[in-house]
Amino acid sequence: MSLFRIHLPILDEIKAKGLKPALRDKADEIVTRITAGLNTAEVRGVLRNDPPGRPNPRLKPHDEGFWLHMRPTYYHNLLDGLYPTFRLGWLSTFFFAFELLTGVFLMVYYTPSPLVAYENMLNLLSNVPFGRLMRDMHKLGAELMVIVVALHMLRTFVTGSYKKPRQFTWATGVVLLGVTLILSFSGYLLPWDQLSLWAVTIGASMVEAAPPEMVGRTLNLLVRGAPEIGANGLLRFYLLHVIGLPLVGVVALGVHYYKVIHHGHSLPPGAEEVGVDTAKRVPMEKRTYFMPDILTRELFYVSALIALLIGATAFFYHAPLEPHADTLVTPLHTTAPWYFLWVQGMLKLGDKVLWGLIVPGVLTGMLLVLPYFEVGPSRRYGDRRVGLSVAAVAVCAMAILSYMGTPHYGVSTSADQEAIATLLPQTHPGPLRLAAWGELTVGSYEASAWASAPTASLQELLQTFNEDIQRVESPERTAVEGIMVIEDWQPGLKKITLRVLWTATATGQSGEYSQTAYLHRDSNYGQGE
Amino acid sequence: MKWRILLGTLAIVAVAGLLGMIALRERDRMAGFTQAYHARQIEVGAALFENNCRTCHGPQGKGIDGVAPAINAADLFNGQRLAAIGYIGTVEDYVRGVVAAGRPIPSAGTNYPNRMPTWSQRYGGPLREDQVDSLAAFIMNWEEQATGGAVSTPAAPGEVVGTDIALTLPEGNADSGQALAETLGCGGCHLQSTVGPAWQAEGTQPGIGGRAADRFAQPDYTGQATTADQYLFESIVSPGAYMVPGFGQGLMPGNYGGRLSKQDLADLIAYLLSLR
Repeated sequence: MSLFRIHLPILDEIKAKGLKPALRDKADEIVTRITAGLNTAEVRGVLRNDPPGRPNPRLKPHDEGFWLHMRPTYYHNLLDGLYPTFRLGWLSTFFFAFELLTGVFLMVYYTPSPLVAYENMLNLLSNVPFGRLMRDMHKLGAELMVIVVALHMLRTFVTGSYKKPRQFTWATGVVLLGVTLILSFSGYLLPWDQLSLWAVTIGASMVEAAPPEMVGRTLNLLVRGAPEIGANGLLRFYLLHVIGLPLVGVVALGVHYYKVIHHGHSLPPGAEEVGVDTAKRVPMEKRTYFMPDILTRELFYVSALIALLIGATAFFYHAPLEPHADTLVTPLHTTAPWYFLWVQGMLKLGDKVLWGLIVPGVLTGMLLVLPYFEVGPSRRYGDRRVGLSVAAVAVCAMAILSYMGTPHYGVSTSADQEAIATLLPQTHPGPLRLAAWGELTVGSYEASAWASAPTASLQELLQTFNEDIQRVESPERTAVEGIMVIEDWQPGLKKITLRVLWTATATGQSGEYSQTAYLHRDSNYGQGE
Repeated sequence: MKWRILLGTLAIVAVAGLLGMIALRERDRMAGFTQAYHARQIEVGAALFENNCRTCHGPQGKGIDGVAPAINAADLFNGQRLAAIGYIGTVEDYVRGVVAAGRPIPSAGTNYPNRMPTWSQRYGGPLREDQVDSLAAFIMNWEEQATGGAVSTPAAPGEVVGTDIALTLPEGNADSGQALAETLGCGGCHLQSTVGPAWQAEGTQPGIGGRAADRFAQPDYTGQATTADQYLFESIVSPGAYMVPGFGQGLMPGNYGGRLSKQDLADLIAYLLSLR
C-alpha cells in the first residue's frame, strides 16, 4: 500500500476522450475559471463583438467574479457619450490606482526620517533608474487627482445626481474628496525640502487655532508630533499618507462603488420624469453591456492615459525639489498647496479661528449633509435655478479666495526685497539662476544702465531688475538705484550680489538691501528640480 | 470598438517606446543630476563659508595669521598638511571630518592657539550633515586654484611696511593695486557695505578715493592722518585707529602692516584713490 496515491484526472480524461479534446476541454475550463464564467468561445465572441447569446453569458463574471461584481452589468446608452459623466468618477478611481502603484515604487526608496528623507530624494533622482519618472508621475497624478475629484463632485451637484436615492453615495464621495485632499497634502511633507516644510507648517498652524487653547495645543501636538514639525511629525504624515488615508480611501471607495451598482448610474436630468429614478430599469434595447463595450473602452482609456502621463512627465512636467528643509530660513512667500489656497485667502479676511476653522468646517459639514436637506424632487436644470446659482457663486468665490490666498493679495513685503526676489526667488530657480552662466560677465553693473551691459543675458536681467526697482521708488524713498556685482569666486563659481539702494526722504539717510547668490557653472537649474 | 482597440494597442506601443527612450537616457540623466547637485552643493557651501568660516579662515579661505590657517592653500591639497599630522585618509575626508567634529587641540608647532569649533549637529554644532557636505564640496573646489596657482610667500620681515603712516611710500601702480586687492580678497568685505565700507561709489556717496580725500578733516575723525594717502595707509595697517560710522571694531584683520611690502601698499593706495 502506498502512502500517497497520486491521481491526475487529466490522464483519465485523455484516456477517455483522446489527447486533443481532453487538452482543449481543460484549457476551456481554465479560461472559464480565470474569467469567472466565460469560456473560450465566449471570450472570442466578446473580442469580436458578436451578439451575445441568450441568456447573456457575459453577465456571469459580474455574478461570480470579485472585480466585475463591483461594476454594473450594463449602462444606459444615454451614458455612452461624454455627457453627463465626463468620465470623472472613473478617472478618480484610475488616479487612485495610479497613485497606489507609483507610490509603492517610491516607498521602496524612502525612509521617513528628517536625517535621510531629502537624501532619499537625491538618491531617487541621481541613482535610481526611472526614479525621476516615478516621482514626477506620482506628483503629477496627485495634482490631477485633486482636480478630477473636485470636478466630479461639481458635476454630481450640477446634474443633481446626489438626490434621492443617492444621498449616501454623495456623502461617501465627500469623504473621498477629503481623503484625496489630505492624501495630497500629507504627501507634500515627505521630500523634506523647503516647499514641504513651509506648506505643511502653514496648514498645520490652522489646527493650532482650534479653540479653546488646550484643544488647539493638543491637536497641534498630535498632528506635528512636537511643537514644531520634526522627526515625529514626518513619521506621522508618512504613516497617514501610506497607510491611514489609503485605508479610509479604499473602504469609502468600496462603499461608493457598491452604491453605484445598487442604485445604477443616474441618467441625464432631462431623461426621466421629475421625481422618478429609472436608472435600474433600462429597457433591453437601450443597454450598453459592460462586456465588451465598456471594458474595451476602459482598457483603451487606461493605456492612453498612461501613455499621456508618461509623455507629459518625460518631456514637460518635473516635480519640484527645493533646498533641504530648514526651520531657520523662512522663504519670502510661503503658500499652502494650491487646493488649500482658498483657506489661506479666507485667513486674510480676519480671525484665524472663524475663517480658518469654523467656516471651512461648517462648509464641509454642509457639503456632507447637503442631499438630506436639499430635497427638491426635480433634477432638471430649469427647476434648480437657486441651487445652480449657489454652485456658480461658490465656484467663483473659491477662485477669488484662492487668488486672495496667493502672495499677490494683502501681503505687505518691502518693495526692495520683492525687487531682488523677482530675479532671485527663494521658492523656484528664477531668471538669475536660469541665465546662461557664461554670459554673467564679471563686473559691477547699474540696473538703470542695463542697455550697456556686455551680454544679452545680463541686459535682460538688468532690465528686469530696473523695472522692479521702479516700484521701490515712493514718496518715502527716492534716488533708488539697483546694482549687480558679479565676481569670480572660485574655479567655476561666481558670486553675484544684488543691491538696492535708496535715500529716505524724511531723514535723508541712505538705505540698502542686498542679497548674494553663488552660481556654479554646472548647477543646471533648468532641468526641473 | 475597433478603433478603441487599435488606439489602445498603439498607446501601449507608445508607452513601450517612451519607456525605452527614457531607459536609454537614464544613465546620462542620473549622471547629469549628480553633477548638477554637486555644483549646487558648492553654491550652498560658498554661502555657508561666508557666514561661518570667513571670520577666522579669512576671505577666500586665505587664512588669517594667528587666528586660523589658510584652507585655500596648496599644502592642504597636496597632502603635506595631512602627512604632518599623520592623517592617512583623503583630503576630502579630512576636510569633512574637521568641519564636522572640529579640532579639540590645535596642531603642535603652529601659531594658531584657537581650537576649531565643532560644526556638525552630530557633535553639538549648528550645521546639518548635508550642510557639512556642502561646505566640504566648496572647500574641495579650491583644489585647482590652490595647487595650480603660485604659492604666495609672505614678505620678509625687513621689507614689510609696518604701521608708521608717516613713512614715505614709493610710486604706486593702480593696476597692480587692483590685482593685489583681488588676491588679498578685499572684495569679500568691501564690495558691499554689510561687513566693511564699500569701495565703489554708491548713490550720492563717492567711492573710497573720494571719501578718503576729506575724511581726515572731519570733526569726528580720531586717527593721525593728514592726507588722503595717509588716511588709506592708516586704514589698512591700523584699522582700529578710526571707525567709519556704522562699522564695528575688530572686523578687519589688523595684520596687513606685517604682511604687505611698501610697494604693495603704495599700489593698493593708488588703486583705492582711483575709485572716486
